[in-house]
Amino acid sequence: MVASVLTCLLRGLEGVLVEVQVDVAPGHVAFNLVGLGDASVKEARERVRSALRNSGLGFPLRRLTVNLAPAELRKEGSGFDLPVAVAIALAVAEKRPPPRTAFIGELALDGAVRHADGVLVAARALRAQGVEALFVSPADAAEAALVKGLRVHAPADLAGVMAHLAGTAEAPAVAGLLPSAPLEPPLEDDLAEVHGQEAARRALELSAAGGHHLLLSGPPGAGKTMLARCLPGILPPLTLEEALEVAQVRSILGELGASPLSWERPFRAPHHSVSTAGLVGGGNGLGRPGEISRAHHGVLFLDELAEFQGPALQALRQPLESGRVVITRSRGTVSYPARFTLVAATNPCPCGWLGDDRRACRCPPGAVDRYQRSLSGPLLDRLDLRVAVSRPPLEALSTGSGAESSAAVRARVMTARHRQLHRQECLNAHLKPAGLRRHAPLGAGRRLLERWAEERGLTARGFHRAWRVARTAADLDGAETIQEAHLLEALGYRLAVHERAA
Amino acid sequence: MAVVGSRRPTPYGEAVAERLGADLAAAGVVVVSGLARGIDAAAHRGALDAGGVTVAVLGTGVDVVYPAENAGLAAEIVGRGGALVSEFADGTPPRRGHFPKRNWTMAAISELVVVVEAAEGSGALITAEAALALGREVMAVPGSVFSPQSVGAHQLLRDGAGLVQNARDVLAVLGRGQEVLDDPLLPPSRLGLAAPVRRDGLLGHLSETLPVTAAELARKLGLGFAEALARLTALELEGSVLRRGEGYVRKLRRE
Repeated sequence: MVASVLTCLLRGLEGVLVEVQVDVAPGHVAFNLVGLGDASVKEARERVRSALRNSGLGFPLRRLTVNLAPAELRKEGSGFDLPVAVAIALAVAEKRPPPRTAFIGELALDGAVRHADGVLVAARALRAQGVEALFVSPADAAEAALVKGLRVHAPADLAGVMAHLAGTAEAPAVAGLLPSAPLEPPLEDDLAEVHGQEAARRALELSAAGGHHLLLSGPPGAGKTMLARCLPGILPPLTLEEALEVAQVRSILGELGASPLSWERPFRAPHHSVSTAGLVGGGNGLGRPGEISRAHHGVLFLDELAEFQGPALQALRQPLESGRVVITRSRGTVSYPARFTLVAATNPCPCGWLGDDRRACRCPPGAVDRYQRSLSGPLLDRLDLRVAVSRPPLEALSTGSGAESSAAVRARVMTARHRQLHRQECLNAHLKPAGLRRHAPLGAGRRLLERWAEERGLTARGFHRAWRVARTAADLDGAETIQEAHLLEALGYRLAVHERAA
Repeated sequence: MAVVGSRRPTPYGEAVAERLGADLAAAGVVVVSGLARGIDAAAHRGALDAGGVTVAVLGTGVDVVYPAENAGLAAEIVGRGGALVSEFADGTPPRRGHFPKRNWTMAAISELVVVVEAAEGSGALITAEAALALGREVMAVPGSVFSPQSVGAHQLLRDGAGLVQNARDVLAVLGRGQEVLDDPLLPPSRLGLAAPVRRDGLLGHLSETLPVTAAELARKLGLGFAEALARLTALELEGSVLRRGEGYVRKLRRE
């Protein structure tokens, strides 16, 4: 007797429909699993055998062949346990599998259904391919239920699954729960707590409004980290689609819990010892998402930029440009979304005190140049806004600042973002040169920009960078066209020290 | 006369060295320095900008420019009738032990040595020591009492070095005081310096020596940061202000 049920194989953020076929035939007692399963899939045999026995379903002492089709794709992960067990049980009972129904889950030896990574991604893919019902572990139910039009069942164990299929005990469908739209979120880091730092405040606002990448340069203790942490708080909350994309990445990593959807913008701050694979994605098999994909639609904060490994920073360039990272392996290619705002922070020199008015720099002169050169080049060229952050005078810390709160800044940011999306369907930072010409005409300012480019040796990328920032400054002003003041301001966000080194 | 100082000057020190180099060269003095980064380069640059003659004493062979970033400066010094001087054979690379010797040479060929900024243990102090040993005059420029870069210069002042506020102080010691009209209380135009073209009121709030950041300026004048930055950038574009580190200074203007 042959039975087959559906499940899903993940390749990056794509799901491939997989059919688990089971043939129970007379002959030598055997349990063969074919269809390019890796070690974790082969181990399914032992878990499935124990789970079936301990669920009182029995394990057939016959020749058992399980095929995972399509056979040419390599399978990995423990989510195949449940569909394999269900298919065997159905084959033994000579029952037809339920139509348009899929199963994902790992099995414990006692038959309990356990968590599998990437259920949200699988659920969206399965729904898109016509699947109507999905069985997952109770731990993954909330995640799967986010998908519209999919009936999600989450019985606690294998016996429960089979009872539901046999019609003896109903496992109720889990209701999808979208979290209510966010109220005013409590902000851990509010701009109201930032004293002075007018340059950095303005740069943060431009960055939030236009999606521009940002470099903060200043001595230790100047508050670079605090400023970076304020950025998510002045960004608008995620849209539903964005929140789902963020949740998908976390789902792949198995990080989604009982309340899978969050409206908060991600904020990731990897340590500078992070490997290239850890930063951009990679690792075993086809590769897992890295920090840049966890920061999708949010903020990636790289403190001590010069301390990061060169290859890791080099690998950032393509995602910075395209908003996606593509990982190519001999076994295939996966791509993950990585549309983040980069906030990089750096000391002005190795000891950190160059240019500080209260402490002298102790670096040998050559070291300062080397340090600044290590920052220069193509990565720096992609940071639209570069500002110096200086240490606030101590007396400013004890008095109240009376500075503007994040909520007030966010209101302006949202208006400016709305203008951009309405005009060009993307943020200014993501405008291609052709889009810039169409949506951000320069008029009289063009001469000014060209003069600057000529006299100061601005690269073509630098030219467009200043242009985009100027468009954002105009949007924050509510101006239809870019004015000269906007361009001049945009050109002001360069740091002389880096310009010289570049 | 020699102008020497730190290879890591503050913007203040750099501005003073450039100004001294320029004013002394304009008064016909040959400015001697060591072609190093920082104060040395600023002094040479100032002298050249004022159309003067300047001499660089090297710690390497005359055909080796160290640091390499000053190659353009070296070429200009020679091109404007100055000289590169070295006691070392052609092709000698930079070596630790050579620079103190170079400092002695510098002191030897100068009538007077001005130390602009020097931290404790700085090479500029070796030049000052050498100058004293050789019977030359030593003078020093005071700095901020908070600045470690001025500790050495202040030590010299305490030990009896002459105080330098401007080129006139130096020229008086050289016995050529009457040639200079430099008075810090008079407007720059009386010094043969053109008054900056006042296109923007911001200019009046900028200093020629101490950099002011856009944020400080905005706070002082009650402007928005974005407006202050845009106006400063406009002034930078027309060449009346310069960026110094994180801040802006007004550019010196000369006829």
